[in-house]
Amino acid sequence: MNIIEVEQLTKFYGKARGIVDVSFSVGEGEIFGFIGPNGAGKSTTIRLFLSLIYPTTGKARIFGKDCIAFGPEIRQEIGYLPSEVFYYEGMKVIDLLKYSGSFYKKETTQRMYELAEIMELDLKRRIDDLSYGNKKKVGIVQGLLHQPRLIILDEPTSGLDPLMQQKFFNLIRDENKRGATVFFSSHILGEVQKMCSRVAVIKEGSIHKIEDIKTMRNEQYKKIMVSAQNVDQFALNLDGVTNVERDNGTVRFFFKGDINQITRIISAHNVTDLTIEEPTLEEIFIHYYE
Amino acid sequence: MKMNIFLHEIRRHKQSILTWSISLILLLFVFMAMFNSFASEAEVLNQTLAQMPKELLTAFGLDGVDMSTVLGFFSFVFLFCQICLAVQAASYGFGLVSVEETDLTADFLLAKPIGRGQILTSKFLAAFTGLTLTNAVVWIGSFVVIELFRDSRPYETNTLLLLLISLFFLQLFFLSFAILLSLLMKRVRSVNTAAMALAFGMYALSAFGGMLGDETFDLLTPFKHFDPNTIISQQAYELPLVMISVVIILLSVAGSYWLYLKRDIHSVN
Amino acid sequence: MNIYLRELKANVKSLLIWSGAVVLFVLVGFSKFSAYEGNPELLAIFDSMPPALISAMELRAFNLTTVTGFLGLMFTYFSLMLAIAAGTWGADIIVKEERDRTVEFALTLPVTRARLITAKALAATTNSFILLLVTWASVLVGSMSYQTTPEFYQFLVYIMIALFILQLIFLSIGIFLGCAMKHYKKASSIMMFVLLQAYIVSMLAGLDQRLEFLRFITPFKYFNPARLLHESKFDPTSLLLAAAIIVVCLAGAYFTYQRRDLYL
Repeated sequence: MNIIEVEQLTKFYGKARGIVDVSFSVGEGEIFGFIGPNGAGKSTTIRLFLSLIYPTTGKARIFGKDCIAFGPEIRQEIGYLPSEVFYYEGMKVIDLLKYSGSFYKKETTQRMYELAEIMELDLKRRIDDLSYGNKKKVGIVQGLLHQPRLIILDEPTSGLDPLMQQKFFNLIRDENKRGATVFFSSHILGEVQKMCSRVAVIKEGSIHKIEDIKTMRNEQYKKIMVSAQNVDQFALNLDGVTNVERDNGTVRFFFKGDINQITRIISAHNVTDLTIEEPTLEEIFIHYYE
Repeated sequence: MKMNIFLHEIRRHKQSILTWSISLILLLFVFMAMFNSFASEAEVLNQTLAQMPKELLTAFGLDGVDMSTVLGFFSFVFLFCQICLAVQAASYGFGLVSVEETDLTADFLLAKPIGRGQILTSKFLAAFTGLTLTNAVVWIGSFVVIELFRDSRPYETNTLLLLLISLFFLQLFFLSFAILLSLLMKRVRSVNTAAMALAFGMYALSAFGGMLGDETFDLLTPFKHFDPNTIISQQAYELPLVMISVVIILLSVAGSYWLYLKRDIHSVN
Repeated sequence: MNIYLRELKANVKSLLIWSGAVVLFVLVGFSKFSAYEGNPELLAIFDSMPPALISAMELRAFNLTTVTGFLGLMFTYFSLMLAIAAGTWGADIIVKEERDRTVEFALTLPVTRARLITAKALAATTNSFILLLVTWASVLVGSMSYQTTPEFYQFLVYIMIALFILQLIFLSIGIFLGCAMKHYKKASSIMMFVLLQAYIVSMLAGLDQRLEFLRFITPFKYFNPARLLHESKFDPTSLLLAAAIIVVCLAGAYFTYQRRDLYL
């Protein structure tokens, strides 16, 4: 079953467009990436899933049930980690986590303590006194302590130090192995590249592209860097070679096509260094941000 | 109704309930302590008042007031209690749901497996419980203070009960009306300012209307629907006016549910 | 002074709402006044009333049948409205930086906190003054259809001065609370209590001669409209108290705000 099904989902804020005719689906067990520039409609889509806001037209279904009509029921199995976390004044971390847990039918205490330990969260502290990053940790534990079937992440790692980010991603992978589906919205393309199997690109309210990460990269070019003494003499004016940069005995370029063409040229010379890389998502997608 | 939200909200109102209760007890005590000394002078006053035309008395809100009686004197401090409880109820009402949006905790609470209706009900009941606690304090305080200072002058218990019961309606009015108003606003910048404006506004309408002797004002403001002087002199409620308040309460509650259920809750940015 | 201008712009809506309320109040009041004007029956009664009764009803030698007397009666309501407006504006204008989370912007600008307070205080004062002018204007308009005497206009001036001082008192209390309170929500709740208390005590004080001493603690009693009308004089003690409150509050505001930690 598809965990998320979106059909022609549209939201207008008065005259201003939120999203228009957005359709896609996410299968069970997927880690699905959702990327796009600021103002593209990522937050709007997520808020529609959680029935924080209501659609103008169109539908969204989670676990096969309509998000608006069955909101409270489906949220039993959704964990939401928002980009900015705000909590009630005067509460200790443990109080808030217990309060959060009290909404779910499942037993959450044990998992709560486990998660707190993984994220190195001091349960006795007052939330008001925590730094932004530590508040994010509370958000992470709070969003996962009921072991949800669907995890919705919105810029989840902003504010976390690199070590914590690692722990966080390991946590998400573990949850995914356990069977959870992950909906991952982020600006940090490197993270999306690492974690996701499929990615949707949203821009100006509409879906631009939905693709497998692997396919995307394979269809794309390779980044090649060659260092050699006579590198300036390399005959690189082939079809498929672009963005040539020469610099002090090194040449960098992008190549799309039969890789043998390049290897033949290179093997014909004495080369001191050769790097062939796959481009990062950033390099692929940066033009979507323009 | 969700117990966890209910308890959380009561804890949120804890300090406020305490402060209001203590302030009201002090007010009742200080005021009634003066009764005795005042009562003897008041008798002279009453003779003169009896000779005055009705219009003038109404103009000064003195129609039917007899300051030499226990309840007559009590009605003055009772009016202040009404104002205070109105401010308290209005501030709980304006803040009830708006606080989640102002403090940006909406993303937490509304992403929980709970419907909007359940949230509103739990919060409403918690606020009302808090108000009832304060109300109870006023009830007990009033009885105690009247007993202490009435100096063996008699008073009609039934009328006192009518007065105290009116507080219940008054609180419901301000609570539900304020919730409705808060949902009609995009954002409640300052809960306390709005609460004071509503409560004092309604009070001013009643005082002003009384001064001008205009009956239309009576319809608009709950302070006139539950006017202490009228209740004392007639030993009963003015039912048509009470019904107006009740209708407004019901409409406000229904309206609030409708508005909250379809409200878009926007994100931080 | 860009802070000053910005604050003025930001508060326009609030100013308009309060002005509307004042205008409405004045117009309705004056339209009803016609019932009282020159009513001979009422006049007779006033002449025959014993002084005790007059004080109990706060009539204080007002002739309700004239516009002037009516104005004196409106004074209480004006005080209440303008005091609430000024007090809440004062507290709000300081507290909004923390409440709206603009602290990290506004207070990291190259201005001292003192300058910030000054600009904001001036903006709130300006708004209060504008509200006062609106009150003045609407009274002038409302009274146009009635017989007015030069005495009336002079009385009006005195009333306006009294109201302005009242505004300043509550404004400075509001600013002080906004600056001093660590938790911004406390500032507005305390302001609320202060206003409530001041009003209730003022009513209490009017009840009984022996409670006259209470008038020192509530600004609503600092200005006696009857005295203003008949003696054209302000009570020096009251003026001193008013000045003291204003100075202490403002000094306290500057002092506490400079030293306080500003949280997000």
